[in-house]
Amino acid sequence: MTAIADPGLQPERTLLAWRRTILALALGVALAVRYVDLGGPAIALAVGVPALVVLAVAYATTTVRYRRVARDLAIGEGEMPGVGGAVTMVAMIALVLGLGSLLALVPAVGLTP
Amino acid sequence: MARRFPHAVYGQGEEPDARFSLANERTFLAWIRTALALLLAGVALEALDAPIEPSLRLTSALIFVGLGLLAIIHAWMSWARTERSLRLQQPLPGRAVGAIIVSGAAVAIVLIGVGSWLV
Repeated sequence: MTAIADPGLQPERTLLAWRRTILALALGVALAVRYVDLGGPAIALAVGVPALVVLAVAYATTTVRYRRVARDLAIGEGEMPGVGGAVTMVAMIALVLGLGSLLALVPAVGLTP
Repeated sequence: MARRFPHAVYGQGEEPDARFSLANERTFLAWIRTALALLLAGVALEALDAPIEPSLRLTSALIFVGLGLLAIIHAWMSWARTERSLRLQQPLPGRAVGAIIVSGAAVAIVLIGVGSWLV
Protein backbone atom coordinates (compact mmCIF):
# COMPACT_ATOMS: atom_id res chain seq x y z
CA MET A 1 0.00 0.00 0.00
CA THR A 2 1.52 3.32 -0.97
CA ALA A 3 1.31 6.17 1.50
CA ILE A 4 -1.47 8.67 0.89
CA ALA A 5 -0.21 11.52 -1.32
CA ASP A 6 -1.76 14.16 0.95
CA PRO A 7 1.04 14.19 3.56
CA GLY A 8 3.25 15.88 0.97
CA LEU A 9 0.84 18.72 0.31
CA GLN A 10 0.92 20.25 3.77
CA PRO A 11 4.70 20.65 3.88
CA GLU A 12 4.60 22.09 0.38
CA ARG A 13 1.95 24.65 1.34
CA THR A 14 4.01 25.53 4.39
CA LEU A 15 7.18 25.86 2.34
CA LEU A 16 5.41 28.19 -0.09
CA ALA A 17 4.06 30.25 2.81
CA TRP A 18 7.61 30.60 4.18
CA ARG A 19 8.91 31.61 0.77
CA ARG A 20 6.39 34.32 0.12
CA THR A 21 6.79 35.67 3.62
CA ILE A 22 10.58 35.76 3.29
CA LEU A 23 10.27 37.48 -0.10
CA ALA A 24 7.87 40.06 1.35
CA LEU A 25 10.30 40.74 4.19
CA ALA A 26 13.23 41.06 1.77
CA LEU A 27 11.23 43.57 -0.26
CA GLY A 28 10.43 45.48 2.93
CA VAL A 29 14.09 45.57 3.97
CA ALA A 30 15.15 46.74 0.51
CA LEU A 31 12.55 49.54 0.55
CA ALA A 32 13.54 50.55 4.06
CA VAL A 33 17.24 50.70 3.19
CA ARG A 34 16.42 52.79 0.14
CA TYR A 35 13.94 55.20 1.68
CA VAL A 36 14.39 55.65 5.42
CA ASP A 37 16.49 58.71 6.11
CA LEU A 38 18.98 58.12 8.89
CA GLY A 39 21.43 60.79 7.85
CA GLY A 40 23.37 58.58 5.48
CA PRO A 41 23.45 55.03 4.17
CA ALA A 42 25.73 53.61 6.87
CA ILE A 43 23.17 52.58 9.50
CA ALA A 44 20.61 51.39 6.97
CA LEU A 45 23.17 49.20 5.22
CA ALA A 46 24.62 47.95 8.51
CA VAL A 47 21.18 46.68 9.49
CA GLY A 48 19.75 45.91 6.07
CA VAL A 49 22.55 43.87 4.54
CA PRO A 50 22.80 41.38 7.44
CA ALA A 51 19.00 41.16 7.44
CA LEU A 52 19.01 40.24 3.75
CA VAL A 53 21.74 37.67 4.34
CA VAL A 54 19.71 36.13 7.18
CA LEU A 55 16.66 36.02 4.92
CA ALA A 56 18.63 34.35 2.13
CA VAL A 57 19.90 31.71 4.54
CA ALA A 58 16.38 31.23 5.91
CA TYR A 59 15.07 30.75 2.37
CA ALA A 60 17.64 28.03 1.67
CA THR A 61 17.26 26.20 4.98
CA THR A 62 13.48 26.34 4.77
CA THR A 63 13.53 24.52 1.45
CA VAL A 64 15.77 21.82 2.92
CA ARG A 65 13.62 21.52 6.01
CA TYR A 66 10.35 20.94 4.17
CA ARG A 67 11.76 18.45 1.73
CA ARG A 68 12.78 16.50 4.80
CA VAL A 69 9.40 16.94 6.48
CA ALA A 70 7.58 15.76 3.36
CA ARG A 71 9.78 12.67 3.20
CA ASP A 72 9.34 11.93 6.91
CA LEU A 73 5.57 12.22 6.66
CA ALA A 74 5.47 9.95 3.62
CA ILE A 75 7.40 7.20 5.39
CA GLY A 76 5.57 7.92 8.63
CA GLU A 77 8.44 8.54 11.00
CA GLY A 78 10.71 11.19 12.31
CA GLU A 79 10.28 14.09 14.66
CA MET A 80 9.33 17.42 13.15
CA PRO A 81 12.32 19.75 13.09
CA GLY A 82 12.04 22.69 15.45
CA VAL A 83 11.04 25.93 13.75
CA GLY A 84 11.31 28.18 16.79
CA GLY A 85 14.59 29.62 15.53
CA ALA A 86 13.25 30.49 12.09
CA VAL A 87 9.99 31.81 13.54
CA THR A 88 11.87 34.03 15.97
CA MET A 89 14.24 35.38 13.33
CA VAL A 90 11.39 36.21 10.96
CA ALA A 91 9.52 37.96 13.77
CA MET A 92 12.62 39.94 14.72
CA ILE A 93 13.24 41.11 11.16
CA ALA A 94 9.58 42.11 10.89
CA LEU A 95 9.94 43.97 14.18
CA VAL A 96 12.95 45.88 12.83
CA LEU A 97 10.84 46.84 9.80
CA GLY A 98 8.08 47.93 12.16
CA LEU A 99 10.43 50.14 14.13
CA GLY A 100 11.83 51.48 10.86
CA SER A 101 8.29 52.31 9.78
CA LEU A 102 7.75 54.19 13.03
CA LEU A 103 10.98 56.10 12.40
CA ALA A 104 9.84 56.92 8.88
CA LEU A 105 6.78 58.60 10.32
CA VAL A 106 8.60 60.84 12.73
CA PRO A 107 8.64 64.19 10.91
CA ALA A 108 12.09 64.98 12.18
CA VAL A 109 13.46 61.87 10.53
CA GLY A 110 11.32 61.94 7.43
CA LEU A 111 11.80 60.02 4.23
CA THR A 112 14.51 60.44 1.62
CA PRO A 113 12.93 61.87 -1.53
CA MET B 1 16.56 13.80 20.12
CA ALA B 2 17.97 17.24 19.38
CA ARG B 3 16.86 19.94 21.76
CA ARG B 4 14.63 22.36 19.92
CA PHE B 5 14.25 26.08 20.56
CA PRO B 6 12.31 27.37 22.43
CA HIS B 7 12.40 24.80 25.16
CA ALA B 8 9.35 26.41 26.78
CA VAL B 9 7.37 25.17 23.77
CA TYR B 10 9.08 21.94 22.70
CA GLY B 11 9.99 20.80 26.20
CA GLN B 12 6.36 20.23 27.07
CA GLY B 13 3.89 17.55 26.13
CA GLU B 14 4.13 15.24 23.15
CA GLU B 15 4.63 15.52 19.42
CA PRO B 16 1.33 16.62 17.88
CA ASP B 17 0.03 15.68 14.44
CA ALA B 18 2.49 17.29 12.04
CA ARG B 19 -0.35 18.84 10.04
CA PHE B 20 -1.42 20.92 13.02
CA SER B 21 2.11 22.18 13.59
CA LEU B 22 2.41 23.06 9.93
CA ALA B 23 -0.95 24.85 10.02
CA ASN B 24 0.26 26.80 13.05
CA GLU B 25 3.37 27.86 11.13
CA ARG B 26 1.28 29.03 8.19
CA THR B 27 -0.92 31.06 10.52
CA PHE B 28 2.15 32.73 11.99
CA LEU B 29 3.44 33.54 8.50
CA ALA B 30 0.05 34.93 7.47
CA TRP B 31 0.05 37.25 10.48
CA ILE B 32 3.55 38.45 9.56
CA ARG B 33 2.42 39.23 6.02
CA THR B 34 -0.65 41.00 7.40
CA ALA B 35 1.65 43.05 9.61
CA LEU B 36 3.80 43.99 6.61
CA ALA B 37 0.71 45.16 4.72
CA LEU B 38 -0.34 47.30 7.70
CA LEU B 39 3.15 48.80 8.00
CA LEU B 40 3.19 49.52 4.28
CA ALA B 41 -0.22 51.22 4.49
CA GLY B 42 1.01 53.48 7.28
CA VAL B 43 4.27 54.41 5.58
CA ALA B 44 2.65 54.88 2.15
CA LEU B 45 0.12 57.38 3.51
CA GLU B 46 2.94 59.71 4.45
CA ALA B 47 5.55 58.77 1.86
CA LEU B 48 3.19 59.26 -1.05
CA ASP B 49 1.92 62.53 0.45
CA ALA B 50 -1.68 61.40 0.14
CA PRO B 51 -4.11 64.36 -0.21
CA ILE B 52 -5.57 64.04 3.25
CA GLU B 53 -5.80 66.55 6.07
CA PRO B 54 -2.29 66.25 7.59
CA SER B 55 -3.03 65.56 11.25
CA LEU B 56 -5.66 62.95 10.40
CA ARG B 57 -3.31 61.41 7.88
CA LEU B 58 -0.48 61.12 10.40
CA THR B 59 -2.87 59.70 13.00
CA SER B 60 -4.05 57.08 10.54
CA ALA B 61 -0.50 56.26 9.57
CA LEU B 62 0.49 55.83 13.21
CA ILE B 63 -2.51 53.61 13.83
CA PHE B 64 -1.57 51.36 10.90
CA VAL B 65 2.06 51.11 11.99
CA GLY B 66 0.98 50.47 15.59
CA LEU B 67 -1.36 47.71 14.44
CA GLY B 68 1.45 46.25 12.34
CA LEU B 69 3.73 46.08 15.37
CA LEU B 70 0.91 44.55 17.40
CA ALA B 71 0.36 41.94 14.71
CA ILE B 72 4.04 40.96 14.77
CA ILE B 73 4.06 40.47 18.53
CA HIS B 74 0.78 38.59 18.32
CA ALA B 75 2.16 36.40 15.52
CA TRP B 76 5.05 35.19 17.64
CA MET B 77 3.15 34.75 20.89
CA SER B 78 0.28 33.01 19.19
CA TRP B 79 2.64 30.61 17.43
CA ALA B 80 4.35 29.68 20.70
CA ARG B 81 1.12 29.35 22.71
CA THR B 82 -0.67 27.37 20.03
CA GLU B 83 2.26 24.99 19.56
CA ARG B 84 2.39 24.40 23.29
CA SER B 85 -1.39 23.86 23.48
CA LEU B 86 -1.15 21.35 20.62
CA ARG B 87 1.58 19.45 22.45
CA LEU B 88 -0.38 19.45 25.72
CA GLN B 89 -3.68 18.72 23.96
CA GLN B 90 -5.29 21.75 25.55
CA PRO B 91 -7.76 24.21 24.04
CA LEU B 92 -6.13 26.64 21.64
CA PRO B 93 -5.55 30.22 22.81
CA GLY B 94 -8.11 32.90 21.96
CA ARG B 95 -8.30 35.23 19.00
CA ALA B 96 -9.20 38.56 20.58
CA VAL B 97 -6.25 40.33 18.98
CA GLY B 98 -7.75 39.80 15.53
CA ALA B 99 -10.82 41.80 16.52
CA ILE B 100 -8.63 44.57 17.93
CA ILE B 101 -6.63 44.85 14.75
CA VAL B 102 -9.69 44.89 12.52
CA SER B 103 -11.35 47.55 14.70
CA GLY B 104 -8.21 49.66 14.70
CA ALA B 105 -7.91 49.42 10.93
CA ALA B 106 -11.57 50.44 10.60
CA VAL B 107 -10.94 53.52 12.74
CA ALA B 108 -7.93 54.46 10.63
CA ILE B 109 -9.93 54.06 7.44
CA VAL B 110 -12.71 56.28 8.81
CA LEU B 111 -10.11 58.91 9.68
CA ILE B 112 -8.78 58.72 6.13
CA GLY B 113 -12.28 59.15 4.77
CA VAL B 114 -12.96 62.17 6.95
CA GLY B 115 -9.53 63.60 6.19
CA SER B 116 -10.02 63.25 2.44
CA TRP B 117 -13.32 65.05 2.66
CA LEU B 118 -11.82 67.86 4.71
CA VAL B 119 -9.06 68.61 2.22
